[in-house]
Amino acid sequence: MISLVHYLTVAAILFIIGVYGVLTKRNIVTILMSIELMLNAVNINLVAFSRFIQPEVLTGQVFSIFTITVAASEVAVGLALLFRVYHDYDTVHIDKLNRMRW
Amino acid sequence: MFNEYALHHAWLIPLLPAIAFVVIGFFLRKSPVLSAFLAITMSMVSFILSLGVGYGVVVQHITVEHPLIDKIPWVDIAGLSINMGMYIDPVSALMLFIVTLVSLLVQIYAVGYMKGDDGFGRFFAYLSLFAATMLGLIIAVNFVQMFIFWELVGLCSYLLIGYYFHKPSACEASKKAFMTTRIGDFGLLLGILLLQIVFGTLDFAQLTIAIPEYVQQYGTGVLTVAALLIFAGPIAKSGQFPLHVWLPDAMEGPTPVSALIHAATMVVAGVYLVVRVFFLYSMLPNVMLIIAWVGGFTACFAATIAITQQDIKRILAYSTISQLGYMMLALGVGSVTASMFHLMTHAFFKALMFLAAGSVMHGLHDKGNIFEMGGLRHKMPITFAAMTIGVLAISGIPPFAGFFSKDEILLAVSEVSAPLYIIAVVTAFMTAFYMFRLLFLVFCGPEKPENNPHEAPSTMKFSLIILSIFAIIGGYIPHVYHFGEWIRFGDASHEGLNWTIAATSMVLSVLAMALAWLIYGSGKVSPDRLAMRFSTLYNVSYHKYYIDELYLWLNYTFVRGFGKILYWLDLYIVDGIVNGLAKLTYRMGDELRQWQTGYLQQYGLILFGAILIMVVWLVITAPISMASLRGGAY
Amino acid sequence: MNITLLTSEIAIICLSLLIIILDLLLPRFETRRSLGYLAAAGVAGVFAYTCTQYGVSATVYQGLFTLDSFALFFKQIFLLAILLTLLFSFDYVEGLAKYQGEFYALLLLAVAGMMIMASANDLLTVFIGTELMTVTFYILVGYQFNSSKSSEAGMKYMILGSVSSAVLLYGVSWVYGCTGSIVFEQIAKHANTSLGMLFGFGLIVAGLFFKMALIPFHMWAPEIYEGAPTPITAMLSMGSKVAGLAVLLRMVFIAFVPMQAYWGGIVSIIAAITMIGGTVIAMWQTNIKRMMAYSSITQAGYMIVGLLSADASGIKSVLFYAMLYMFANVGVFATIIAVKKHHGSNEIKDFSGLAQQSPLLAVVMTVSLLSMAGIPPMAGFAGKLYVFSTVIEKGYLWLGLLGFVMSMISVYYYLNVTKVIYMNEPCVQKEFIVSQPLRIAALISLLATLWIGIYPGPLAELANTAARSLSIL
Repeated sequence: MISLVHYLTVAAILFIIGVYGVLTKRNIVTILMSIELMLNAVNINLVAFSRFIQPEVLTGQVFSIFTITVAASEVAVGLALLFRVYHDYDTVHIDKLNRMRW
Repeated sequence: MFNEYALHHAWLIPLLPAIAFVVIGFFLRKSPVLSAFLAITMSMVSFILSLGVGYGVVVQHITVEHPLIDKIPWVDIAGLSINMGMYIDPVSALMLFIVTLVSLLVQIYAVGYMKGDDGFGRFFAYLSLFAATMLGLIIAVNFVQMFIFWELVGLCSYLLIGYYFHKPSACEASKKAFMTTRIGDFGLLLGILLLQIVFGTLDFAQLTIAIPEYVQQYGTGVLTVAALLIFAGPIAKSGQFPLHVWLPDAMEGPTPVSALIHAATMVVAGVYLVVRVFFLYSMLPNVMLIIAWVGGFTACFAATIAITQQDIKRILAYSTISQLGYMMLALGVGSVTASMFHLMTHAFFKALMFLAAGSVMHGLHDKGNIFEMGGLRHKMPITFAAMTIGVLAISGIPPFAGFFSKDEILLAVSEVSAPLYIIAVVTAFMTAFYMFRLLFLVFCGPEKPENNPHEAPSTMKFSLIILSIFAIIGGYIPHVYHFGEWIRFGDASHEGLNWTIAATSMVLSVLAMALAWLIYGSGKVSPDRLAMRFSTLYNVSYHKYYIDELYLWLNYTFVRGFGKILYWLDLYIVDGIVNGLAKLTYRMGDELRQWQTGYLQQYGLILFGAILIMVVWLVITAPISMASLRGGAY
Repeated sequence: MNITLLTSEIAIICLSLLIIILDLLLPRFETRRSLGYLAAAGVAGVFAYTCTQYGVSATVYQGLFTLDSFALFFKQIFLLAILLTLLFSFDYVEGLAKYQGEFYALLLLAVAGMMIMASANDLLTVFIGTELMTVTFYILVGYQFNSSKSSEAGMKYMILGSVSSAVLLYGVSWVYGCTGSIVFEQIAKHANTSLGMLFGFGLIVAGLFFKMALIPFHMWAPEIYEGAPTPITAMLSMGSKVAGLAVLLRMVFIAFVPMQAYWGGIVSIIAAITMIGGTVIAMWQTNIKRMMAYSSITQAGYMIVGLLSADASGIKSVLFYAMLYMFANVGVFATIIAVKKHHGSNEIKDFSGLAQQSPLLAVVMTVSLLSMAGIPPMAGFAGKLYVFSTVIEKGYLWLGLLGFVMSMISVYYYLNVTKVIYMNEPCVQKEFIVSQPLRIAALISLLATLWIGIYPGPLAELANTAARSLSIL
């Protein structure tokens, strides 16, 4: 039987993989994908909690629909910005974005 | 109708000149005509409003026991709430009247006097600012408001004394005035803080009730200290000994300023402060005695200096100090009535004399030494008449204004202390002497050919005439209309003149006049020979008892000596610490900014690190926090 | 259900859509200044409308959205901020290469997001509002098409912002799991101190601290402030920060009341680090926008100090501070825009001789900076006095002293700018043009700063009403 704990564990692993990706990958597209992983972890969490704690109310599931929508718009904006970065820097390598510091 | 409006909108009286200041300062500085017009219009409206207030006070029977108080919260922090507002009673209504009247007349006068000056607009801006702050001080409801405006008034005084900022002496004088009054202000501030600590309030109305109760319960120990500290403020601002030194130097400012600020209005702020907090002083007979002696001594002391001075404005300055001493003396013997009465008449005749002196100097192209003048009565008849009226008024010759107020003071003093009465009478004699000396030297005798005097322009004459009228009737009218029933503390004082005292002082004044005529008018006795005969006395007086020199010496030895020690301390210890700290922060900033590498993923790492630490912290401290919460709750 | 409570948000969003439509209808090469005026007029109208709403206290959508004086106070801050920002950025927007009309529309959408945040009474609405605001800001930060700094800043903001949103959401999911609800009052009712709850709470607070750019969650701020178009920098520092504050206040004082004992330590330490770090790093900056980034970090540190007293007077002091902080920022950024137009860059040395070129802006800049430093009689002094006197009363004397010392140190770099303005000679001799709307915005900020400083009574009263409407404790 799959219990709440299993879902939460999967979500936590997913979240950590996302964090790892954000911190280590140099390609901006990969970073955006890692962010998606983090958001998906949230979705799993929400739906699982909703299903196991209050099966009669759908609060968590509704919330996850909102999350998915917003995540989509975030990615859209992110990719648009990526075009601009590529246009200005000729690269999608995150470490090259380094003109301002100190 | 109008008085009702004026009473409840008395806050407009200071506000209007303030508006004038802002508008002139920001927009009209370059346009002399408009700035003068605006300043005078605003003063005029203020004056009319204060007339309305005065009328309203009479009609609505507002007495010193039942003032009209209106206030709004200004700052309200936990445990400390400070109001701003207006405190209208006969005393403040009278002050409003005096200040708006004199400042209006002085502004009109200044149109003629300052004509062609480069800073004409600036001058009127300052005058308006001064009027605003002074009027704000008058209607203060609590010590905080009083203190704020007190400082602002000091600032205006500083600005106006140093108006001719290109003259080094003017800059020096303004600095001296500012520093000297700061000494008193410091005491005042300490006193106010002490009252706040003891009573938890600085509101005049609340203190009026609280102080007698406190005295009954705990005695007067702390209050004596507070009262003395507060009195330090008036000593400095009203030029009492030993902090009088700034006032004569303040004559470096333009003469209209001397008339307005350093004779008629600002310098009496100290007297007004003591009157306003008389509920405190009246509880403390010892402090009252000190006030009386400080006042009496200052009066006599300044008069002896005035006798030998040669600069027309300096004579008037020492005379002002002396008369302020008179007012303080009256307060010290417990007569608010006499003090305020003299304050009013003094404002009229001293402003008049200053303006007349300004007119003389204007006519003689800024010459100030009275021994170089003479015979001006032919060329400057109006000025001569005005000055004569002023001199007669200050000397206490009936029926001029000074006679009634001076008599009131002498009467009050004679009831309390014989030595002080004698001092007061001697001072009155000397006052009459040096005033007639001035009058005779400047206006009588032969004309000096090198002078080419001309009469003042019409705006100046207008102010002189109006003030002359007030200097003539300003004593008799209030006397007849029961001044003492309105302006008082406690019960109304008795009515009527005491003819013995009045006659004594009158006779002495006439004698002084005769003596002055003998020496300076007729030329029968040579003043130089007298000075030779009493050379020690003359020198001491002429050099103002060497007080300035003493202060300089004190300043030199102590401040320099201390300074050397402190400098050493500062250089090696304080600076060491401060510089070390500064270097530390500077270096720290440099270190920390190196973290801002521009590499996004480092930022991410720091972000997650911080989140991790925070969450772990929350979880670890949970049991501890839980326990403390329990401990607190149960 | 009383939909009228949402009127102001709906009006702002409609205004934004209207601008997009009009932008399409206007001839391509015509300037979009008219749209800017339209936006300003619309915002002014909404602001006037919000003034009539004080005293209302009601909720819609089963308590998801609430309107009370507290929310109104913040909404008015945002509306004033956007109004003044619009006024001083017309010229700037005209200098943009493309899409001028949409710039206004997007700005308005960001403000709608902030307003929703101020009213949010549950975690979902918080999320929607936050995302509406930040996603719009991602676009706006990268809006300057001729500057690579701008696109870099946009990208960085987007990545870090999304990560922080994900963190916040993950926290939300845990809080939901532990309490079974996302509405603040229900959370408070079911709140426990289980591990999951603490974990979730920590993540949510971290996400909000990121929005407010508190150290150590601040790393994004300097770059984004420097790279973004100046009006956006202004709105980031006024809007984003204050909106985060609004959510944080409502959340910790309604939803997480049972956890008060937990966050006291964290908030005090973060406030201390923020005040110190922001101040000492700001001393080294040569770019005015970067300096303002650190300055705004420090200011946020001062603001959260007010949270510690955890009562109405503390909240009141925070509200008061937020308002005056907004006015001071308007003054500074208006001046920055004018100088940028003149010199083409944002270095502090470009301010040389501003006093001769434009005395008004020199005064505005000086007064605004001194207000941030907390020198009387500017408004900042009253604000700091309120904030620190309330926390000192609660026993955080060390924090009060630290705040005082840091204010003194911050005077150093604020006065540095002032010194450049007044002491140095102008380096470029050409006419200094200040447009009329910018002048008005600067004047309003100057007058407001002085007025609040000299007579803080009315604003304190208003802040007090707003703080009490939070109905807590």
